[in-house]
Amino acid sequence: MMLLRLLSWPYLRRHLLRWILTLAGIVLGVAVFVAMHTANRSIFHAFDTTVDQIAGSTQLQVSAGEFGFDESILERVQAVPEVGVAVPVIEATVETKILGQGSMLVLGIDMTGDRSLRDYELKDADDAIIDDPLVFLAQPDSLMVTKEFAERNKLEVNSKIPLLTINGEKEFTVRGVMSSAGMAQAFGGNLAVMDIYAAQQELGRGRRFDRIDIRSKDDVTLEQCQAAIKAALGPTFEVEAPSARGRHFEGLLRSYSAAMSISSLFALIVGMFIIYNSFAIAVTHRRAEIGILRALGATRSQIQRLFILESVTAGLVGSAIGAGVGILMASAITSYMSTILEQTTGFAQRVNEVVFDPKLIAAGIAIGIATSVFAAWIPARSASRVDPVQALQKGKYQVLSAGENRRRRWMALIVCLVSIGCLFLSYSKLFFYAGYVLMIAAGLLLAPALTLLLSKILRPILKRLLPAEGTLAADSLVQAPRRTSATVSALMLSLAMVVGFGGFAHSFYTALDEWMDNALNPDFFVSASANLVARTITFPAEMSPVIQNVPGVDQVQLVRNARVSFRNVPVMVIAVETEKLAKTVHRTPVAGTSAEMNRLTGAGQGLVVSDTFAEIHKMRMGDTVELPSPSGLLRLPIVGIVRDFSDMQGSVFIDRSVYTKWWKDDTANVARVYVKNGEDVGTVRQRVIDALAGRHRLLVLTNREVREWIIKLLDQWFALTYDQIAVAILVAVLGIVNTLTVSITDRRRELGVMQAVGGLRNQIRRTIWIEAVSIGVIGLVLGTGLGAINLYYSLGMVKRDLGGLDLAYIFPVAFVFVMVPTILAAAFVAAIGPAESVIRRSLVEALEYE
Amino acid sequence: MSKCWAIAFAVVWIFRQQDPRQIVEEAQKRTTSQSQRYEGTLQVVDAKNKITEKRWQYERLGSYGSSKSVLRFTAPAEVKGVALLVINHTDRASDQWMWTPAINRERRIALQDRSTRFFGTDFSFEDLEERDTDQFEYKLIGEEPVDGSACWKVQSTPRQSKVSQYTHSYVWIHKNNFALAQIENYSKDQLVRRAHYTDIRNDQGIWTAHKIDMHDLKRNSHTILTIEKLQYNVPMKDDAFSLQALRRES
Repeated sequence: MMLLRLLSWPYLRRHLLRWILTLAGIVLGVAVFVAMHTANRSIFHAFDTTVDQIAGSTQLQVSAGEFGFDESILERVQAVPEVGVAVPVIEATVETKILGQGSMLVLGIDMTGDRSLRDYELKDADDAIIDDPLVFLAQPDSLMVTKEFAERNKLEVNSKIPLLTINGEKEFTVRGVMSSAGMAQAFGGNLAVMDIYAAQQELGRGRRFDRIDIRSKDDVTLEQCQAAIKAALGPTFEVEAPSARGRHFEGLLRSYSAAMSISSLFALIVGMFIIYNSFAIAVTHRRAEIGILRALGATRSQIQRLFILESVTAGLVGSAIGAGVGILMASAITSYMSTILEQTTGFAQRVNEVVFDPKLIAAGIAIGIATSVFAAWIPARSASRVDPVQALQKGKYQVLSAGENRRRRWMALIVCLVSIGCLFLSYSKLFFYAGYVLMIAAGLLLAPALTLLLSKILRPILKRLLPAEGTLAADSLVQAPRRTSATVSALMLSLAMVVGFGGFAHSFYTALDEWMDNALNPDFFVSASANLVARTITFPAEMSPVIQNVPGVDQVQLVRNARVSFRNVPVMVIAVETEKLAKTVHRTPVAGTSAEMNRLTGAGQGLVVSDTFAEIHKMRMGDTVELPSPSGLLRLPIVGIVRDFSDMQGSVFIDRSVYTKWWKDDTANVARVYVKNGEDVGTVRQRVIDALAGRHRLLVLTNREVREWIIKLLDQWFALTYDQIAVAILVAVLGIVNTLTVSITDRRRELGVMQAVGGLRNQIRRTIWIEAVSIGVIGLVLGTGLGAINLYYSLGMVKRDLGGLDLAYIFPVAFVFVMVPTILAAAFVAAIGPAESVIRRSLVEALEYE
Repeated sequence: MSKCWAIAFAVVWIFRQQDPRQIVEEAQKRTTSQSQRYEGTLQVVDAKNKITEKRWQYERLGSYGSSKSVLRFTAPAEVKGVALLVINHTDRASDQWMWTPAINRERRIALQDRSTRFFGTDFSFEDLEERDTDQFEYKLIGEEPVDGSACWKVQSTPRQSKVSQYTHSYVWIHKNNFALAQIENYSKDQLVRRAHYTDIRNDQGIWTAHKIDMHDLKRNSHTILTIEKLQYNVPMKDDAFSLQALRRES
């Protein structure tokens, strides 16, 4: 501790700027980790809380995926002797036309019995009009809203709320205001309760319910009740506790959570290299100090402990600041993520509260400290091994010894060979990931040698361009590769990440574009919602002939899709009119032939699955898929596997006739409309809008609108990842600033002499700039190479564990071209500060240095 | 000899009268009719003495155990046309459906929901059911006047087969005409509801209370049902008591 106070503190004060830059690496890494995970947790928490609050004292819920089931199931459940209370529920997010309120969660419930499960805690329960279930039930425009919502929008009992229902924009009457407790807190207070039978009509449910909420009889255990209901309904219904819905939601977000974890991990690794660099430099700078200490009797372990303690302190300070920054960032990220999730998964979540988990923050700080200690471990060990005699020889340490270089190269070769060996065994998850890690490790081991090599290659080029400044800058890199290599490694890792993500995005966009050309080819789409993933509102099949009869319409294809649980994973079942679809859509077959798969699916003798479904569930042609339906388990063989991006959890295509028979439902989510040849799409679209006016609130979206919406969705999905990449690059750029600062300090006397013998300020400036840009160039070359490898593993990881997508390897050339000026500009900007500090420094002081 | 017979008959009569089941059955028997029709006014008086009023028309066909009834709201305008169809069975709980004309559909009132309030009044759905004497155990507690009139006080406890929100009830029956005077319903040892029958008139030979005041002691509110235009044994068609009829007449 005394050493820390006597030696470390004065050094820190002398190099405050550098330490601030070093800490910035940890700050950013930890901030991203805390912010991302806090946002993730907040969304899960909001979902769980909403489920809990809505569930009330519900112990079990009966459901059959998102399709719902016929209302006759209710009586079967109520007849189970173990069931105490069983009430039907419809749940949907409905858009309000109140300015700034967006969507609200509408809960359709049966008020005659529902109070046994949920306490509505009416604000003024004694008011007979408010608390009059008869009026509530008799008037289908009745709505109960929460106190928060009412106050926010200055609503009272008998006020009107415009909602966009399947029947168009309709005014509902507030007939009750719930107090601010329990259920009323769900969905951030944007919750309304309506009579379930009115909800059936307004939300296009026909005679169906979404689920049944259950409480068992007092003398019956939950397990007994669950078993009895399962026995009564058969295996096609899910009978689970409300909390199980959270598991399904988690399943939907798994790939996104994993992607976020990986990118925050990358940010931390990049930060680790910056710390390593700073400590390695600190050890070099203080070698004389260490030599004296060693000569005075300090043990090796004392020296090592001193540096470790410094790293712990740096880690602690950086992590604490990072955690604080992360907490500040979390709110914005949470809001952004919840919007993306609503648009991509169809699960609307209003996250009003950011949940700060002390354990998560502690974990972030611990990871920051651990990263710092891990990064400082090698410099600390080197410090403990400093030879007091060698310590007094300036510059000796910065030179990478030939022996060390050779040893590293051998190690890299061995690691590389093992990694290639793992590639042959990559069917095993362990070997695949081991190979990935080893390949990155090989890249890092080779970084110093390659940095040296590239520096030497650059020297003649730089010399030719600017003889004096270019040579000086190149010599600085060649003479001290150790100083440069850690920064180059950080930059290389950042760029590898950029190329990996960029390549993945590029491959994904390319595949999606191809899919949209093949599958999304109708002239326009008729939907109950502007958001095509929102499946909570449907429309009846009678709309099909209405649209079909519009002059100019060639064909109408009804689509009904919703998620059902398959092997405890939510999968998207898409019911299509196969015969019609076969004539207009040419899906890319992965297995089977289009003609045969369409024939068998249309005849109800099979189903087609997406490649993601086949990959996630390890299913092949001919395997039987068992889908739970209200009429029993629908068992159909896989007759085709196609490339499809309808849902990241995998899609299953069945014929609409099979759907209507097994699900006893003839509603649709979307109608795909084709216009006759020679007809003007805009004119026909307007005719369809006119034909639908006054019947149902249906939106007519053009093909272009849908495509743009999908691309926008994807852009949003990738945007957060790009932000993290930007953070990683920022950390790497901070590393360049750090390296240059050290380089300048190292060469203070040399630069001072240059100025003394007549070197112009501009020459000094240019030397520093060239050195920075050279680091950028080396980082770019190595990063692009490692990125190419990273992309291969990233695509493998996506296929294997993040959605089962089998994407083609397409190197993101355009991405790299964008990165070249970005990195070089960033390196140049990073050099401005250090360069200016050199030329403004006192010449006398510089010459006196060391 | 005839004197002995007269004494014996009197003893039997007294014992017979004091058998609580017989008392209840006699009370039911005396109100038995082929059909019943009335117009009722419901006044719900909440804890703050705020009064809301609803009106309905009631029709019943058949007598205890196997009757069918339709209760149709006539006022206020918001609830006009809403109807409740009750079909009683001798061997099981009644079936109840509510008809909502605005959405043109019926909803079944599940057995589990019978303990809930009857559309915002202080009656529960269970209170509207006919009491099958076989589903209860009776015990004569004694005699106790209600509104100055001598009454039998009978305790009725639902048998295990009977699903009820009440653990037991006390029923007061007028000794002079076997008309109901009061019912107190208990959940465990707590009095939850009290129905007070007043304005008892003889309509076509049947003693009928024209005013029933149901008090919910938990909510401290009460509902007064006033019966007007009461008629017994009015000709009614059986098919008028069905869901189809409700749909037809909405």
